[in-house]
Amino acid sequence: MAESGSVSSPNTNSNLPRKKRKRDGSGGISRESSRAMWRTETEQRIYSSNLVDALRILRRLDSSAVRDAADKVLAVSAKGRTRWSRAILTGRLSFRLSQINRRHKKAAKPVTAPKKPAARRNLPPLQKKVKTLSRLVPGCRKLSLSNLLEETTDYIAALEMQVKAMALITELLNGDVLGASPHLGLVHS
Amino acid sequence: MNRGSPEMFTGSAEMSVLERQRARLNWQQENLIQHQHFTYFNENEHFDGAFLMGNADQGFGELLMGRAMKPDPGFEDGWNGLDYGNVSEFEMSCALPRTSSCPPAVVADCGKGKEAALSSATGKESFKKRKADKNHIPKVAAEEKSQDKKMKRGAEEDTRITEQNSNSKSTITTANDNNKKGTSDENSKPSEAPKPDYIHVRARRGQATDSHSLAERVRREKISERMKYLQDLVPGCNKITGKAGMLDEIINYVQSLQRQVEFLSMKLAAMNPRLDFETDNYLAKEMFQVCASSILAIGSSAESVNPTHLQFNGFGKGVSSCGIEMGANPPDVALRRTISAPVSIPDTLFVSSCLNQIQPLTWDAELQNLYGMEYQQGRSTSFVSHPFSGFIDASHVKQEM
Repeated sequence: MAESGSVSSPNTNSNLPRKKRKRDGSGGISRESSRAMWRTETEQRIYSSNLVDALRILRRLDSSAVRDAADKVLAVSAKGRTRWSRAILTGRLSFRLSQINRRHKKAAKPVTAPKKPAARRNLPPLQKKVKTLSRLVPGCRKLSLSNLLEETTDYIAALEMQVKAMALITELLNGDVLGASPHLGLVHS
Repeated sequence: MNRGSPEMFTGSAEMSVLERQRARLNWQQENLIQHQHFTYFNENEHFDGAFLMGNADQGFGELLMGRAMKPDPGFEDGWNGLDYGNVSEFEMSCALPRTSSCPPAVVADCGKGKEAALSSATGKESFKKRKADKNHIPKVAAEEKSQDKKMKRGAEEDTRITEQNSNSKSTITTANDNNKKGTSDENSKPSEAPKPDYIHVRARRGQATDSHSLAERVRREKISERMKYLQDLVPGCNKITGKAGMLDEIINYVQSLQRQVEFLSMKLAAMNPRLDFETDNYLAKEMFQVCASSILAIGSSAESVNPTHLQFNGFGKGVSSCGIEMGANPPDVALRRTISAPVSIPDTLFVSSCLNQIQPLTWDAELQNLYGMEYQQGRSTSFVSHPFSGFIDASHVKQEM
C-alpha cells in the first residue's frame, strides 16, 4: 500500500523536524502548518489506512486495545514532531512497567502519614486548570504554559482528525449492515 | 614594551586616564550591573579602546581586547609600551578626575580594586589573578568567550557601545529604545544560550522597562498569542475572554474529544472481526472516494485476480460484509472462516453469480443482505479451501448484526 510507505518510525523523522523547529516567534509558522496538516485529506487517509492495518493485527479485541492502537497510529502520523506524540509512542511500555514497579513498592513500604492538604489549597485556580490540562495531554506534565498550549493546539487538531477517521471507519464497517448510508450512494457503470 | 618605573608615568596625564580605565574596569567587572547610565559609557568609550590597544600586557590585554572591538586609534601610540604591571602602582594615587561622570560607587570600588591590585604588586600575572578573583573569573571568562561570539550579560554595556558595528544589532536597538540598562536581560533571557537572533522587545510607553518585567511581558505575550490560536481551534470560544474560561473550554473540549475516541474505539472493538473481511485497499479506497467502487474486498483473497472480479468492485459495500480470509486470524474469529464458502462451487458459476448480483446497484438493507449471502455462497473458490459447514447461516446472521 502506498500509504504505508509514508509512515516511518518517529525516531528517524524526529531528526528532521528538529532543524525546522523554531523556538521564538516563528513558532507561529509551525502552529499554522500543524493545524493545516491535520486537516488535510491526505493525513486522514494515511491515518485511516494505518489504523486499519493496526486493527487487523490486533490480538485483543477490547476497546482499550483499540484505543491504544488508534493513539499509537495517531502518534506515528505526527511523525514525532510533537511532545505528546513521542510520549505516546514511548510511554505505553514504560507506563506499564512503572505501574508494576509502583505496586511492588507500595506493598513493600508502609503507608506514610498523609500530607497536609493545606499545601494543595495554595494553588491558584488557574494553576489547577493548567495542571488538569497537562494531565490530559500525554507527555506534558512538566511543561511551561506556553509550550503546553502549543502542544495542546497540535493535540486537539490531531484528535479531531482521529475522531473523523475512526467515525468513518466504523461507519464503513457498519454501514453495510445497517443500511446504506446516504453518502455511500454507489453509482457504478 | 617598556617597563618604566612608576615615576615615569606619575606626572603624565595618561596615568590618570589609565587609572580611570582600571578603576572603571574593576568597577564594571565587579558589579556587572545594568543600571549604569548609558551616557557614562558613551563618554568613556574611546578611552576603553585606547587603553586596550596600548596595553601590551598579555593577560589583561586580551581581556580588554575582547571587550572592545573598536579601539580608538588616536590613542594607540600613547599607550604602546605601557606595561600593565605598572598600572597597579598607579592606582595608588588614583584620583578619578572625572568623578563627575563616574558614579560614586566607582570610587569605592576603584579603591577596592586598586588595593587588591596593589597588594599583589608583583607583576602582571598576579594582577591578573587578582583581577580575576572569584567574582571576576567566571564573568571575565564568560565575557571573553561571549565577546567572541555574541554579547553576554556582563559586558553588554561596554560591548554595546564598542561593537556597534558588529552583529549586535538587536541589543543595541533594544538598548537604545529602552534607555535603561535593564535590557540586557531580556536579550539573553528569551534565548538562554548565545544565539544569533534575539527577540526584539520594545518597551511600550508607560511600561516598566526593567529586565524582569520585560521578560515577563514576552512570556505573557507568547501565552496570549497561543491562547488566541486555541480560541480558533476550539469551537464556541469566541465569546469567552480570560485565561480561566478559555482553559476550561479547552479542557472540556479535549476531554470530549478523548471520550469520543473511546466510544469509537469501543464500537470498533465490537465489530473488529469484520475488519478481517476487509483488505487494505478496500477501506483505503473506500475512504478516498466515498462513492467510488472500491476494489478490495475481493482483492486480497483473489490473488488470482479475475478480470471479472474487478467488476465486482462495484459491489462496494456489499463486499465488505462478505467474509474474506485474511492473514492471522484470532481464534475467536474462527467463525469467520466458515464464510469461506463451499469449495465445490466452480469459478465460473461464482463469477456469473457475481455478475448477476452486480447489476442492480440500488442499496437497500435487504438487497445488501441478499447479495451478501449469495456472495458468500458464491465465493467459495477464491478462498483458501476450508471445510464448508453449516456455519454459513451463522455467518449470515453475523453479517446482519
